[in-house]
Amino acid sequence: MEKYRPKKIEDIVGNEEAKATFIEWLKSKRKTKKAVLLYGSPGVGKTALVNAAAKEFGFTIIEMNASDTRSEKAVNEIAKPATSYLALDTFTAESKGNLLFLDEVDGIAGNEDRGGVSAIIDIVEKSRVPVIMAANDPEVDKLRPLKKVCLLIRFHQIRLPLIITLLQKICLLEHVKADFEALEHIAQNSKGDVRSAINDLQSLGEENHVLTLQDTMALAPRNKDIRMDETLRGFFSAKSVDEASSLLFRSSVDYDEFIMSVSDNLPRRYTNPDELAVAYDYVSQADLFRGRIGTEYWHLLKYFFNDLSKAAAVAPESYKPFEFISPPIRIISLFWTKGKRTMLNGICGKIGAQCHVSISKAKHEFVPFIKIMLQKQKSSALISWLELTPEEVDFLVKMNRY
Amino acid sequence: MVIVLNPKGFKLPRVEKEKFTLLIRLGLDYNREQCLYSIKNFNNIEKVIDTIASILNTEVVFSQTCIRCGKNFPCSECKYNDLCATKDQPFSCVCPQCLRDRKLFEEYLEKL
Repeated sequence: MEKYRPKKIEDIVGNEEAKATFIEWLKSKRKTKKAVLLYGSPGVGKTALVNAAAKEFGFTIIEMNASDTRSEKAVNEIAKPATSYLALDTFTAESKGNLLFLDEVDGIAGNEDRGGVSAIIDIVEKSRVPVIMAANDPEVDKLRPLKKVCLLIRFHQIRLPLIITLLQKICLLEHVKADFEALEHIAQNSKGDVRSAINDLQSLGEENHVLTLQDTMALAPRNKDIRMDETLRGFFSAKSVDEASSLLFRSSVDYDEFIMSVSDNLPRRYTNPDELAVAYDYVSQADLFRGRIGTEYWHLLKYFFNDLSKAAAVAPESYKPFEFISPPIRIISLFWTKGKRTMLNGICGKIGAQCHVSISKAKHEFVPFIKIMLQKQKSSALISWLELTPEEVDFLVKMNRY
Repeated sequence: MVIVLNPKGFKLPRVEKEKFTLLIRLGLDYNREQCLYSIKNFNNIEKVIDTIASILNTEVVFSQTCIRCGKNFPCSECKYNDLCATKDQPFSCVCPQCLRDRKLFEEYLEKL
């Protein structure tokens, strides 16, 4: 893979228009925008273009990527000196000075990276060197202010014919005799990601110098959108923690809904109470990690997957196919009781308005007594004072629990 | 009917001021001497295509330029058209003839 990393701009496949716009911006001396944001899905050549262009035009890259902390302090410590002063070698013929490259800016998140975006904007405005940013998803809310100060360049997914061309070129250089259909299959499997296509070709071509369509059939599908029922089936039939874990990594299910579904289906999976207890222990540990992850700490996701996968592999030998409960019972019950909950909230709103209390307080402290009063005697004074409709009165009288 | 336009230069009927301003704002360039439009910025290409389609009152696609032989061809000629996630844009690809022809490919590699 490293051998075929693009070294020159023309080595980068596809996105000719984006490449031309970027090069024009990099070469121009009086830039209308001081920064550029390259965006597009992974493996389309954003980082490769920056590296190749910097090498070709003699820039020294100062890079901060997702593995670095990008808080206000860190950005100011690293990026500010690199962009505020012109490097001494700028005055030599070979070098054009520094270039600040912030990769995966859409990944700036959480407490660790607090103030990072505003610090970057400040740097862009004062910078004396080109500032280049790359993102997979530019629609992230926090990037909105950043987009205003950047020239946006969109990278499309690489088309199949272009990936096939690249694979053909690599095969020719590596003396691998590959069938056109085999390369076509690798390219289709990569879903526009050149990096993964080259990786697949490398893994298949390393073993033999003749590549047929049959050889490529063993490739694991990439980016496959595995739905809930498929994920549940694969999860419960997993023979090991690794198998269940790799399935979870590939699936795109909602984790909250998935853990509820697992919890509902565990008694059907494990009929032995001891095994069931162990499995529920693992699910509860996984749930703890899900709570800690929240919306920010996604680095804990592996622990969530690991604990959940352990629940699937408590007794792999005892697996028998069963019918799944899906969607989760909790979601179904919320769906069925939505009408009742809306009615109760409406009543509590009326009580709250008359008694000057919150809806929650009305629900827990007033409704039980009003219910008893109405059951004993349908007091017209109380009904008219609270302005309850006959349906609401009927609902309160017949209500079992709230 | 689908009209295939060349992104490097195409003609449009005379449009009112608002439409012209919109086209320029969306990233088109206009050459007054040759009366030709060309695409300068590709970020809003979907909106450009929609606006041109509304002006011409028909479906519009831009032709692709083959990176090997330089020939212009529409995406509809490609057998991967249904699988392609970036149909009709951007405008560089490999034409079906060049893709299958090994001799042409080796000639292309020699040129690089």
